[in-house]
Amino acid sequence: MGAALNGDGRVRAALAVAGSALFLSVWWLAAAAPHANALFLPSPVAVAVAFARFVHEPFANATLPQHLAASFGRFALGFALAVSVAIPLGLAMGWSRRVDDVVTPLFEAVRYVAPIAWLPFAVLWFGTGIGGPTMIIFAGVFPACLVNAYRGARFVDPVLLEAARTLGAGNRRMLVEVMFPAALPTIVAGLRIGAGSGWQSLIGAELIIVSSGIGYAMVQAQSSLETPIVISTMLAIGAVGAGIDVLLRSLERRLSRWRPTPEQRTTPS
Amino acid sequence: MTATVMVAAAAWVVLTSVAHVVPASRFPAPLDVLHAGRQLATSGYAGATIWGHVATSLGTVIGAFAVAGAAGTLLGILMGSSRRFEAFVNPVFLLLRPIPPLAWIPLAIVWFGIGVQSKIFVVSLAAFVPAAINSYTGVRSIDPALIAAARVHGASSRVVLGEVLIPGALPMIFTGLRISLQASWAALVAAELVGAVAGLGHVMTSAAYDIYPGMVLYAMLWVGGLGATTSLALAALERRAIPWARR
Amino acid sequence: MSSIVFHQVSRSFDRGRNRVAALAAVSLAVAEREFVAVVGPSGCGKTTLLRMAAGLDQPTSGTVEVGGRQVRGPGPERAVVFQQFALFPWKTVRQNIEFGLKCIGRPAGERKATVERYLVLMGLEGRGAAYPHELSGGMQQRVALARSYAVDPAVLLMDEPFGALDAQTRIVMQEELVRISRLSPRTVLFVTHSVDEAVYLADRVVVMTSRPGGIREIIDVATVRNADGWHRFNMEDVMDRDAFVHLRTHAWKLLRDPAYRAATPIPEYLAS
Repeated sequence: MGAALNGDGRVRAALAVAGSALFLSVWWLAAAAPHANALFLPSPVAVAVAFARFVHEPFANATLPQHLAASFGRFALGFALAVSVAIPLGLAMGWSRRVDDVVTPLFEAVRYVAPIAWLPFAVLWFGTGIGGPTMIIFAGVFPACLVNAYRGARFVDPVLLEAARTLGAGNRRMLVEVMFPAALPTIVAGLRIGAGSGWQSLIGAELIIVSSGIGYAMVQAQSSLETPIVISTMLAIGAVGAGIDVLLRSLERRLSRWRPTPEQRTTPS
Repeated sequence: MTATVMVAAAAWVVLTSVAHVVPASRFPAPLDVLHAGRQLATSGYAGATIWGHVATSLGTVIGAFAVAGAAGTLLGILMGSSRRFEAFVNPVFLLLRPIPPLAWIPLAIVWFGIGVQSKIFVVSLAAFVPAAINSYTGVRSIDPALIAAARVHGASSRVVLGEVLIPGALPMIFTGLRISLQASWAALVAAELVGAVAGLGHVMTSAAYDIYPGMVLYAMLWVGGLGATTSLALAALERRAIPWARR
Repeated sequence: MSSIVFHQVSRSFDRGRNRVAALAAVSLAVAEREFVAVVGPSGCGKTTLLRMAAGLDQPTSGTVEVGGRQVRGPGPERAVVFQQFALFPWKTVRQNIEFGLKCIGRPAGERKATVERYLVLMGLEGRGAAYPHELSGGMQQRVALARSYAVDPAVLLMDEPFGALDAQTRIVMQEELVRISRLSPRTVLFVTHSVDEAVYLADRVVVMTSRPGGIREIIDVATVRNADGWHRFNMEDVMDRDAFVHLRTHAWKLLRDPAYRAATPIPEYLAS
């Protein structure tokens, strides 16, 4: 978006406003209709009010920010764990064919299992402890981070590796000063994709196996038919997820300042 | 590669059935999985035999994926080919898009109860968004020189859409469908884990609470297998639809 | 000790079911501080020869020795300048030049001084903080040269270093190379497609053939250059001189015509 305010830009801005207005009106009208059930479809106003109230007043034992903090804390733990395993392992796989040959079959076997599908095992292994959600988040974040670290390392321009060798670089310097920086933009892209997947999976896990956090609040609201709160939590979840994405995108941009645009490569035509 | 697989398989057998390092309540031995399979095929578990559960899960995914995937693709194409339409629809799209499909489950349960309808709703949402985003990108990223070439030949907007934009966007459309399919399976499993009366996810939840890990793993293998099969089918479809694409 | 000796070097590759001989029993000796250019058609193996001296490739048979020691792998005493520059895109100009110095363990103060010296020497003042993608091709290759020279290598291996530059930048870089070579001479093996470039720059020009790769003839340029006093002229005028044209034409014919037979003529007017 961000249309320039020239002729067509103005038309599009107006259309954007119109689209939002239409959405809100339809929603409001549907909720205000004579046979409408407020438990089923609360009006936008009711949702806004419930949201505002939830920020200060606890529901299901905590306020909205508190629930979000609990969820985000779990997310951060699972994310940090997954990243600290995936990046070194992916780099090692990109560096050494042997490591690649050993790890890849194992990875391919479990990679397509949706993270949430590990939930029953999480229940079996961790019950209701912190391990369960952490494991699910790990399963969500790990694949994208590993694949990207691997690709970033493996597809470093070979001539750069040769140049480093001819200048006398030893293995440690190769890894730290050549392979890792070369792979970094791809790695961060993997972090972003993994984070999205991890946040999603966390929510799923919180619907089932925890007693705090935003997913838990949502399930509680659903079973007591506090639909405005259900919708409020959905919006909060979306907002946090979008926020994480925006943060990681800007990190990606900052780390890619040295990147040539597609037209300029290290191999000029 | 086969060496790794064989070592892993051997480790599985040894750790569970021979050395008993891993207790049966934590991770199933190969025999436990076979036993679960036999039970599910004959007397059934969690409300139906394997075929009933497979039919529910597979049917829901294929049905919802087909409809929502098509709808999402269509929306993406429209948004990609008309800046005005995009402007009109974008605010709502931006609002709803970051909400993960799994986060719709409680609302779906409020609206449809615990049954097939809420599952279809959630899976449809999961399939819709990636299809829309990728087909949008596919249309948008078509080389403007190609559109210019078509117009120079006198092509109307409709012809440009049908002969240039859509075929040119097909590779990305299929990328979106691939992601949609994966997302559909993930959403289905989640929905069935949370609240369902049938389906493979429901089998997994019941087995977890019954402390029956053999059944959990067996159902997971089915989910993985069905996921892989449907993905392969989609890939075959893609190859027939775009024989000209570089892979 | 920086001589390069190729002794009966052969290199073959497996392409599918076939064994392709890139080089067949090539022998060549580059003396210390000598500038040797290698020209030849595509596929004659000249780059392979250079890569073997660099330690980036191994002969199938035969030996490659630099400074009397058999080459076992790459190292900073045999710096390589690549056609694609191979600058580390995530490092600034300064950091690129510094890289080799770090590898060979020079202390920070000395590194800084060396980097600054080479920025000036290669005409890169003011660009020290730039990233490679912000520089033109010519400037990037200057950085690459600076990076290689900074580690004070005994041997410089240059693989078509100016091949990716436009014609005018190329000429500038050739003159730069001559200038630097006079300031700090070292053993150079220079691979190129351009006969003009080879004759202008080198002490000897090795003309290769392909299929299989081998040496057709080695032309002694240094004798003619010194006798004719090319150092007095700038490049356009050197290339205008009869001696230059003679040598260049001779090399071209060797390259292009398998039936050509003639010894390298030394023009009569130089025989005094």
